[in-house]
Amino acid sequence: MPGSRQAGNTMPIGDVAISARDANAPPAPGGARLSAVDPAIVLEVKELVKEFPGTRALDGVDLQIRAGEVHALLGENGAGKSTLIRAICGASQPTAGSIFVDGAEVTLKSPQQALALGIAVVHQHFNLVPQLSVGENLLLAGTLPRRAGVFVDWGEIERRARKLLERVGLKIDPKTEVRNLRPDQNAMVAIAKAIGSDAKIIILDEPTAALLPDEVAVLFGHMRRLAAEGHAFVYVSHRLTEVFEIADRVTVLRDGRRAGTWARAEMSRKTIIQAIVGGDKAWSDEIVAQDAATGAVVLAAEGIAGGRVTDFSFAVRAGEILGIAGLPGSGAEEALDLLFGRFPTTRGRLMLNGAEVVFRSPRDAKEAGVALVPKDRHTESLLPGASVRENISLPFLRRFAVDPVARFIHRGKERAEALDIAKKLKIKMPGVEASIDSLSGGNQQKAILGRWLASGAKVFMLNSPTAAVDIGAKAEIYHLIREIAASGAAVIFTSTEVEEFPRVCHRILVFRDGRIAGEVSGASATETNIMHLAVGGGDER
Amino acid sequence: MNVSLSVARNEGKPRFDAAVWFAHYGTIVSLVALLIVFSLARSEVFPTVGNLLNIMSQISILGTMAFGLTVCLVMGLFDLSIAPLATLGGYVATSLLVNYPDAVGVPTAILIALAIAAAIGVLNGIIVSYLGISAFIATLATGSIITGAMLGVSDSRTIISGIPDEFMAIGQGTIMGVPNPVLIMLAIGIVLWLLLEHTQLGRQIYAIGGSAEASRLSGIVVKRYAPITLAICAACAGLGGLLAASVLGAGRPQGVGDTYLLNAFAAVFIGASTLRPGKFHIMGTFIGVLLIGVIDNGLSVMGVPTYWQYVVQGVLLLVALFSAGLLTMRRR
Repeated sequence: MPGSRQAGNTMPIGDVAISARDANAPPAPGGARLSAVDPAIVLEVKELVKEFPGTRALDGVDLQIRAGEVHALLGENGAGKSTLIRAICGASQPTAGSIFVDGAEVTLKSPQQALALGIAVVHQHFNLVPQLSVGENLLLAGTLPRRAGVFVDWGEIERRARKLLERVGLKIDPKTEVRNLRPDQNAMVAIAKAIGSDAKIIILDEPTAALLPDEVAVLFGHMRRLAAEGHAFVYVSHRLTEVFEIADRVTVLRDGRRAGTWARAEMSRKTIIQAIVGGDKAWSDEIVAQDAATGAVVLAAEGIAGGRVTDFSFAVRAGEILGIAGLPGSGAEEALDLLFGRFPTTRGRLMLNGAEVVFRSPRDAKEAGVALVPKDRHTESLLPGASVRENISLPFLRRFAVDPVARFIHRGKERAEALDIAKKLKIKMPGVEASIDSLSGGNQQKAILGRWLASGAKVFMLNSPTAAVDIGAKAEIYHLIREIAASGAAVIFTSTEVEEFPRVCHRILVFRDGRIAGEVSGASATETNIMHLAVGGGDER
Repeated sequence: MNVSLSVARNEGKPRFDAAVWFAHYGTIVSLVALLIVFSLARSEVFPTVGNLLNIMSQISILGTMAFGLTVCLVMGLFDLSIAPLATLGGYVATSLLVNYPDAVGVPTAILIALAIAAAIGVLNGIIVSYLGISAFIATLATGSIITGAMLGVSDSRTIISGIPDEFMAIGQGTIMGVPNPVLIMLAIGIVLWLLLEHTQLGRQIYAIGGSAEASRLSGIVVKRYAPITLAICAACAGLGGLLAASVLGAGRPQGVGDTYLLNAFAAVFIGASTLRPGKFHIMGTFIGVLLIGVIDNGLSVMGVPTYWQYVVQGVLLLVALFSAGLLTMRRR
């Protein structure tokens, strides 16, 4: 019988989890183990601290999740959302603090243990195997039902899968391959999988990132019904409009701390945005001199389109740092790729120094003196295993060719030039011949910037140049960006961290849905204003 | 912390790390150890100039092919068509010489044979770059086509009579006591070493092998390089087969390259766990080829049955890859 088998599967896991928890729980004085007075609180996090070398990602966070609620978790990148989720789902252990499930303190050592306690995470990409059927995906986590203990019982898989799909209200054939599903169906299958493992608390990490508006509506409908049945959702998203639509409560994290929790009635766009960005911090010491750049226009575009970018016009001057802001998926990041020729433009004109240019490939852009520092250092810009010298000289190797035919490389000259730029940028390294892998993230990024500086680029397009870089190195990179601009180059900057724009840019264009929603500069270039433009519907202010 | 650039030469750690050391020098140590063991075991036969030249001679065809293979593996491209390409090189050259003895001289025949091999390499590269088929599968397919075409054209008949002596002299002659094929292998090795280590082309091939996307964003037109590297590999394979035909004095339309295919890959991968763990390079390949040659020769000199040679080679390959992998695992 399927029912008894399932019980037989989950029970021992639960027992192990409980005994492990008992063994590890410190003898809390005063019966603190049953702390939750409110029985509706299914998950409680108290004073959670998570330290990484050099940083405190979580600094005493409290969070209460009630049965049947959709609880949105908001915050900028680096605010601690993913660290918190990783701690709740057992993927990493907190440095200090406690987690209670149904009022009992637990130590979550693995995702399997968290799952046994009813905590499931649905990741952004849903963790489904595209080539397998819906049914197989749904039952993959447990032991597949067998006939005679050997052969997979496909009939039974289908029956169980059908049941689960019914529970989430999804009308699809369990035999459908996952790759043939719509994104919203994907999300629902992932949720069904979580429910199939008896999850009471389902954490959704940006589930709508790949969804179209009407697909989001379908997903929300299902979420509301499941919440009414008593499932609790923790909903992580950047999309404020969606949060206002679905969330019963909102908790905002900022700099590893809880900036506040609001119930639906108390939520307003203004308070939430203020909480996310932390008031209007001035960073008076950091802010770029706001004097408008007076140089000539270097790069300009008229109505460029391609990919997510539907209409993009701008002009950037020599010495100017132009920010291109926008939420993930708004087209801001893709705009840089588009300008660099990483994928083709479908419409529009691009002018470099007043003359029309077409970049069909990154090579065309590079030859014209345009540089792109892509977002993901490890997969898009570094040559892993190669030396610092080889990483720096990559775009302008031919400068060191001794002869025009065989193009032997003059390694002495190459080394001297690499050393020169490494010194200028104060790259900390054992030497230019050391492997780039032995450098810290910040120094690797400086080497990448140095690569383009040495190549003599006149337009620098930087996508999240301070991603995965520690605080000290961030300041150095900001400084470097300013110096690049001051030397007469034009800089186009984008980042996934909104707070960087006012710190780095003279002027900021904000993308929404593939087009520019507005421009801010000078005193109006605040994180709050950028967020309002990026999120849209700013009239609620 | 101050930058100390003087440390550049000794690459970091002063502390001795056995795994790191083994990953760099393990294969060289094994090579030396094997040389010592064989020399002690059969001191009157193994460590003689004659036998050492014999070893070099035995590995010359394998070496020529493995050097070429190194070039495309640096870029991450597996070329499985080297076996039929070798067969093709030898057969085309002998067939031209025998069928058109008046029109085609030895140099022309060699040029045509190598050009055809290189052209097939370019084709392999075009399939990889522009049709987006993985090199592994693409070269498996073209290899099969070449094998079929060779059998059809030749009617499965081996060319034996009528091969001019000048052609045989390439494989059978010596210069100052050193067999020609050894000199040819060394020359190819030096040229490809220069190419990979010291020219812009070589550096770009390494860059693409390291990160194709980073290379593309640095302005390298990545797609152009698969045809180039696969053509170099194909030409070397063709040359290897041509040497084989010259040594044998026969142009066989099938099976010439098959014996070299696995050994060539083994040599290149052993090389990638030598001196520069995780990287393919000509010097490493040369050591890999030597190791295979010494094992083959040493074991047969000691009278060990042939089948042991395969077992020992397989074990050695695993150990070499394990030692290189050990280091990359640790790096993470």
